[in-house]
Amino acid sequence: MEKKEAKVVVNHLTKKFGDLLVLDDLNFEVQEGEFLCIVGPTGCGKTTFLNSLTRLYEPTAGDILVNGIPVNPKTQNISYIFQEYSSFPWLTVEQNVRFGLEIKKTPKAEADANVEEMLDIVGLTKFRNYYPSQLSISMLQRVAIARAFATKPELLLMDEPYGQLDIDLRFKLEDELIKLWKKTGTTVLFITHNIEEAVYLSEKIMVLTNKPTSVKTVLDNNLPRPRDVTSPEFVELRNKVTDLIKWW
Amino acid sequence: MRAFEKNKRLILGAVGIFVFLCIWYIATKSTTLGKVMPDPVTVFGGFFTAFVEPIGTKTMTMHILISLRRMLVPYAIGGFTGVLIGILMGWYKVADAIFMPYIQMLRPIPPIAWIPLSIIWFGFDEGSKYFLIFLACFFTIALTTYNGVHSVDETLVRASRMLGANDRQLFMTIVLPTTVPYIFSGLQVALGSAWATIVAAEMIRSSEGVGWLIVRGQDIGNMTQIMIGIVAIALTGLLITTLMRVLENKLCAWTVRGK
Repeated sequence: MEKKEAKVVVNHLTKKFGDLLVLDDLNFEVQEGEFLCIVGPTGCGKTTFLNSLTRLYEPTAGDILVNGIPVNPKTQNISYIFQEYSSFPWLTVEQNVRFGLEIKKTPKAEADANVEEMLDIVGLTKFRNYYPSQLSISMLQRVAIARAFATKPELLLMDEPYGQLDIDLRFKLEDELIKLWKKTGTTVLFITHNIEEAVYLSEKIMVLTNKPTSVKTVLDNNLPRPRDVTSPEFVELRNKVTDLIKWW
Repeated sequence: MRAFEKNKRLILGAVGIFVFLCIWYIATKSTTLGKVMPDPVTVFGGFFTAFVEPIGTKTMTMHILISLRRMLVPYAIGGFTGVLIGILMGWYKVADAIFMPYIQMLRPIPPIAWIPLSIIWFGFDEGSKYFLIFLACFFTIALTTYNGVHSVDETLVRASRMLGANDRQLFMTIVLPTTVPYIFSGLQVALGSAWATIVAAEMIRSSEGVGWLIVRGQDIGNMTQIMIGIVAIALTGLLITTLMRVLENKLCAWTVRGK
């Protein structure tokens, strides 16, 4: 085999809820260290797809392989960032970031170092002893990001993590995310309905069809970073993706 | 700023009580109410005198301590079993199906209705008193704990599952911390009802305790002693619920600090 083994392989992934076909024979691969954005029309089953990927649902047919073995969050190092704010209210910022490391029983010295690094990168070192109820919304989402990266995951899944943020904060957190991604080399699957966000962040953009969901196309995104949302190339790619998503 | 707010609360509370005592005093002195009811000076005087001069065979300190023990032993048992059953019912559907009908049926029965049966089952000694107070707190604690387990946020369950948590870790790191504030509110409410049941418990033959002061006062027609008993229950109740609140603030810092 001359071809590099893919990080994530999705084979004929199909999911039905009763008679309702939601995912229809999805096939694709994600390479190690890639940043893939998944976009599609509203209600196209993006979240169902991620939930299947994480084994929260069993797929009806097909399989998902990570590093060549069927995906399982208990044995593989996968992190997930949600649309909803998911920090644990009874833990301080630092304890939240440490959570995954403790679940995975990471040695203390390594865990300490990772936590410090993550708090530093997301700028929450000063707030380490605060509880989530004392933080602003953008800080909460940073806690979730730091928690997800702290375990040095092989695969990071993000489900519209910035959907509820206003635009300034989103730009800021997107830049932080790119910084973290470059630094850690994590493979990222980022689901969004915001096309501009997808073009800004991704290396590849996968466009899904309306329900029942299948892969419409995968576009390469080689725009140089840092990206300028007003540059003609950026606008052109954005319009191209927009046209692909239109189902009317 | 916060210290000021806190003091303001305290001052307003004290003023409210003082006004009530004044109305009580004036009413007993200037109307016929004074013929059936002692004025507050007599009652509080009698209450504090009772710390040095015994009522019955015991001083007030002993009455309070004996009643507190009668309340705390079954309260601890009710708290422990209530939390245990509540968690079992919340976590396992089978336990829910088995225990819930009992709880829903037995809960509305007032402790006082159990007096005759409890005497037959546990005799006239401490056992029957413990049983009544146990009933007064067990159901509340079991149900609030159960609600706590059910209030676990699905997003947090998903988050911890995704970070690789197994069932045991999920329980220890998500379900239990979510439930703790509920357990505390159950314990707080149950503490009040357990203490309130002390009079009913001491209606079963006893010769001391704050409930006995009232029951005995009624038997001998001594209104002052009855009111001394009421004051003893009220002040002790205030003290223990305050202590409980302090403990809760220490143990559930995350629910308090943000406020």
